[in-house]
Amino acid sequence: MRRALTAFAATVIGVYWLVTFKVTAEPIDVPVVTVPSPRVTTAPGQRTPQPTARTTTPATTGGVSGGTAFTGPTVETLFGPVQVQIALSGGKILDVQALQLPSDRSRSARISQYSAPILRSEAIQAQSARVDVVSGATYTSRAYAQSLASALKQAGQ
Amino acid sequence: MRRTDEIMGMPITIDVRDGDRGTDEAFAELRRIDAIFSPFAPDSAVSRINDGRLRVDDASAEVQDVLARCERHETATGGFFSAWRGAVLDPSGYVKGWAIERACAILDAHGHRAYFVDAGGDVRTRGESDAGEPWRIGIRHPVERGSVVRVVLGGDLAVATSGTYEKGGHIYDPHTGAPADELVSLTVVGPSIVEADVQATAAFAMGARAIDYLEDLQGYEAYAIGPDLRATWTSGFDALCAAS
Repeated sequence: MRRALTAFAATVIGVYWLVTFKVTAEPIDVPVVTVPSPRVTTAPGQRTPQPTARTTTPATTGGVSGGTAFTGPTVETLFGPVQVQIALSGGKILDVQALQLPSDRSRSARISQYSAPILRSEAIQAQSARVDVVSGATYTSRAYAQSLASALKQAGQ
Repeated sequence: MRRTDEIMGMPITIDVRDGDRGTDEAFAELRRIDAIFSPFAPDSAVSRINDGRLRVDDASAEVQDVLARCERHETATGGFFSAWRGAVLDPSGYVKGWAIERACAILDAHGHRAYFVDAGGDVRTRGESDAGEPWRIGIRHPVERGSVVRVVLGGDLAVATSGTYEKGGHIYDPHTGAPADELVSLTVVGPSIVEADVQATAAFAMGARAIDYLEDLQGYEAYAIGPDLRATWTSGFDALCAAS
């Protein structure tokens, strides 16, 4: 994970969105960097492309629902291209979808690695997933929120 | 029969699909292990070693055996797993998996062929949950309560997760003494719960290098979640999961 972050940071373009997650039982606003900052394939000197507002969902698998959809630029990472779409409403992110993810193993220096953001829409409700048992120890949302905030601070450096 | 008891400071669940024979004995064994190895119980062997009332050399053969095995894991993980934090003994990272294994051995001896033992989110499954049905083990979402990010399908399988969201930064890098916080969750899946648990603890302390390290660990797959909620997993992990 750090290796990826370091690689991204080296060619940082600063395109990231802060997401406000709400923890169900104890509402704590936790800023989450959902999009890493990889190198964008643009000509030198060209301004970083800003997310483009769209009124229709592009012809890709998935796509966000609700609010206004913004599609980020396709960016090349060590592991392949990444493109993310978000749905915004009143400054809050309703949904995030990865339109492209680096799944082409041949492109990756470390071809055996897979990586993708964990997004709200990809979380499976434990009940609907028919899970017998859950791995991941007893949840303490406040402790986690503090830990996450601290980790984010470091990731942002 | 499914029963949950609070032992070792965590909920431990035993779910057996055929009667309840041996479960009392399994829980009794977990309590016995806790009484000896708990770093919190004032009169456990571990506490007595820590406050100088008991020398390691004078401890029971079982305690010495556990500490010897901790040492072997420390060597095998390049020091990233350690039963010692400075001068303080805390073999919990090994004992938890070992205790699960002991409980499973008791259930096996009573003829059980379909069960799971879950100690605070570290899970050992055996057989099937139902005829022709694999066990479905969810990996908890680090933020969204009640959600899982992946569902691992298992027969005889061990799934161990280390996370900062457990108690908040409870794993330390033995080399620096600093809390490990480059990952928020790391799940290791494989045949042995002792190995999965130890490797999850060790690799968690390695932080960002965890998946690279675990990719090379024969027979084990892993799934890590970073503080940016980006997941990274080993090449064979997808094959263990239910299609999402």
